[in-house]
Amino acid sequence: MSLQLSRGEVTSPVQSQESKSTAAPHEKTITVAVAGNPNSGKSTLINAIAGTRLYVGNWPGVTVEKKSAMFEHGGRKIKLIDLPGTYSLSPYTQEEIIARDYLVKEKPDVIINVVDATNIERNLYLTVQLLELGIPLVIALNIYDEAEQKGYRINTKAMEEMLGVKVTPTVATKKAGLEELLKAATESADNPSRYLPKQLNYGDDIESAAAVIRTHISEQYPSLDGIYPTRWLAFKFMEGDSRAAEEASLKMDAAFIDKATAHLKKAHGDDMESIMADERYALATGLTREVVKRPEVRKVEITEKIDRWALNRFLGIPIFLAAMWIVFKLTFDISQPFGDWIDGATAGPVSRLADKMIAAVNGPLWIASLATEGVIAGVGFVLAFVPVIFAMMFFITFLEGSGYMARAAFVMDRAMHSMGLHGKSFIPMLLGFGCNVPGIYATRTLENPRDKALTALLLPLMSCGARLPVYVVFIGAFFSSYAGTVLWSMYVMGIVLAILMGVIFKRTLFRGESPMFIMELPPYRMPSLRSLMIHTWEKGKHFLIKAGTYIFAVSILVWFLLNLPWGVENKKDSYLGKTGQIIAPVLEPVGFGNWEAASALVTGLIAKEIVVGSMAEIYAVEQAEEAPTTVSEDLKEMGTTFVAAAGDSFRNVFATFGIASISAEEDEGASGLKTVIQKTFTPLTAYAFMAFVLLYMPCVVVAIAMKHEFGSWKWFGVAFAYQMVLAWGVALVIYQGGKFLGIG
Amino acid sequence: MGITDILFMVLIISGACYLLYRSLWKRKGHCQGCDSETCDVKKR
Ligand SMILES: Nc1nc2c(ncn2[C@@H]2O[C@H](COP(=O)(O)OP(=O)(O)OP(=O)(O)O)[C@@H](O)[C@H]2O)c(=O)[nH]1
Ligand SMILES: [Mg+2]
Repeated sequence: MSLQLSRGEVTSPVQSQESKSTAAPHEKTITVAVAGNPNSGKSTLINAIAGTRLYVGNWPGVTVEKKSAMFEHGGRKIKLIDLPGTYSLSPYTQEEIIARDYLVKEKPDVIINVVDATNIERNLYLTVQLLELGIPLVIALNIYDEAEQKGYRINTKAMEEMLGVKVTPTVATKKAGLEELLKAATESADNPSRYLPKQLNYGDDIESAAAVIRTHISEQYPSLDGIYPTRWLAFKFMEGDSRAAEEASLKMDAAFIDKATAHLKKAHGDDMESIMADERYALATGLTREVVKRPEVRKVEITEKIDRWALNRFLGIPIFLAAMWIVFKLTFDISQPFGDWIDGATAGPVSRLADKMIAAVNGPLWIASLATEGVIAGVGFVLAFVPVIFAMMFFITFLEGSGYMARAAFVMDRAMHSMGLHGKSFIPMLLGFGCNVPGIYATRTLENPRDKALTALLLPLMSCGARLPVYVVFIGAFFSSYAGTVLWSMYVMGIVLAILMGVIFKRTLFRGESPMFIMELPPYRMPSLRSLMIHTWEKGKHFLIKAGTYIFAVSILVWFLLNLPWGVENKKDSYLGKTGQIIAPVLEPVGFGNWEAASALVTGLIAKEIVVGSMAEIYAVEQAEEAPTTVSEDLKEMGTTFVAAAGDSFRNVFATFGIASISAEEDEGASGLKTVIQKTFTPLTAYAFMAFVLLYMPCVVVAIAMKHEFGSWKWFGVAFAYQMVLAWGVALVIYQGGKFLGIG
Repeated sequence: MGITDILFMVLIISGACYLLYRSLWKRKGHCQGCDSETCDVKKR
């Protein structure tokens, strides 16, 4: 019975594909969908094959939207589609819907099913469902290296026979097995009829019920043949999956289906969805038993050993906080010398160079001023913090790749859930540490629109890389002997306030229960240096692009605002100065009610790095007349100071671990800005200012992302309003509290 | 300050505004990794 069914099934989709490919079989672009469980290495595989740099991380749920990569292989154009990882093809989560819609509607030529070799049984549950689709399929048995290490013996030949598909062991991180996999994939795409997967037998009673429904569908909708796999549709109808019907624009005849499945439900004493799931699990389990041999004795793995501590009920959060502290300390120590170097270089040699160039072309004076006091002061100052940002991104990438981030989410989930928050929202929040924007996009993994909006609202409280320059400037000016700790306190403040605000929102705007969040914890892995570098670059690159585009644009505009109306004597009377003066009184109670700080904060609405860029422009100090230098002298000076900076940075790493110790001396060549800040701020107002910058509003880019993701400005408006109030309130508490305690 | 200066100024300001518009609004704030629909093509 089932054999007949599968043959009937086979013919329809094949015809359409063959007619497509016979025209010019070797010119057509082959579309390859890469599907599989979360964290099975799909994105890593695509990066390895096509040389792309898709986001990879060691936790389930990294990829949330479908991404494509084009490349050529043996003269053939191949389009790879990275799908979000899913455990099944039911339509419950956003990831499942995206993956399934793509597979069913767009009909790729072939599916590469990435199967995690260390977790075959659970992965095969999805494979079984992919086979139902009647699309040629090849299996990439990925993470094969870890499976071998664990002593698993996998009989790929037997697997191929039982499933009727090609199975290729691969190690995506080491680019092993890719050639074979591609060969299998292109072959299957070229000869779909030969490589159609087997239709597994779900047992006579299910199959016969499905057959009845299929006949019914074919009779009612003859035009559907070849467009939708009818066996799959029949299964979906039996499961009561109304989404499938909607997609195929069919009317599900509920009464008819009820009748066709009545005896099944009665026999199993369960609903159809569970019956089908049970059957698929049984198939996956049976298959696994046949093909995988596990070693008799299982040794306690390193992951378990670490997790005993990392996930400990009492120690989990302290360990997370300690890990963060180490990261911030290292970030600061490593990057600080480079920051000072760029600071010195832009203030000295680079400005002189620009002056010379402008003098050479005989440009008007104001253009020289725009170039040096505007662009170089503004952009240059922000660029000085690129090393800090890269260092930070490096550590974040490491934590993501090693698997610790997933633990952090888990530990925080326990804390958050006890307050009624959805733990899954912690993943977008962790992404927010790099840049808030990808975090906003990642909220689409949250099924419930309420949770999604709530997460997006809290996300801007996560301190992103753009806020680092502000911290670093102020920490450098006031707190250099405990820099790491102060930096850490900013991030912790963000997290704590996010939890607090979450609780408040949950009691007011977003009442209702949040579902339990179950996250699979991946094994700890040592990310390769190469992948660390690539993904650090991918995260950090964005800040360079920003510096070259809108920070550049804003620094020009700020210069004009500081110099218009034309010929203002005092910057205080410029347009920007006047704006600052209007706002300053509001900031009086929080400790920095001067127009300079106020107007820097206004420009920072575009991007928070700009706060320091603008300050550099506002406070642009007249450089003391220096002895004239030649270009080559300047270049030499930059070279030698760079080498010195690299040496300092290296020594700082050891200093962090207490191996060597260098004093955090006040550096003699303190930049102009640092000295001005030391005059206008006190440690207390500096700390209040840092907190204000952390909290005061999402940057414009986040606003645009929110508008894009939610389709309206509403949530941005809410975020803007509450954050302004929060920032002001927190800065007030810090400043007035500090004053009350007699600090500053 | 001459007419050329004003012309220059208007040019620079509008250039900056355009750059701002393009980099902020048009990219919809996408920022990390291969965030565009399709990643770059690489020959093998
Ligand atoms: N040891 C080993 N690790 C791998 C291999 N392939 C991928 N990884 C690691 O597995 C983790 C997950 O990789 P991703 O490519 O992000 O997984 P994904 O399937 O795209 O995950 P989602 O996007 O969450 O569905 C990363 O830490 C990779 O470094 C492999 O062949 N061997
Ligand atoms: Mg992925």
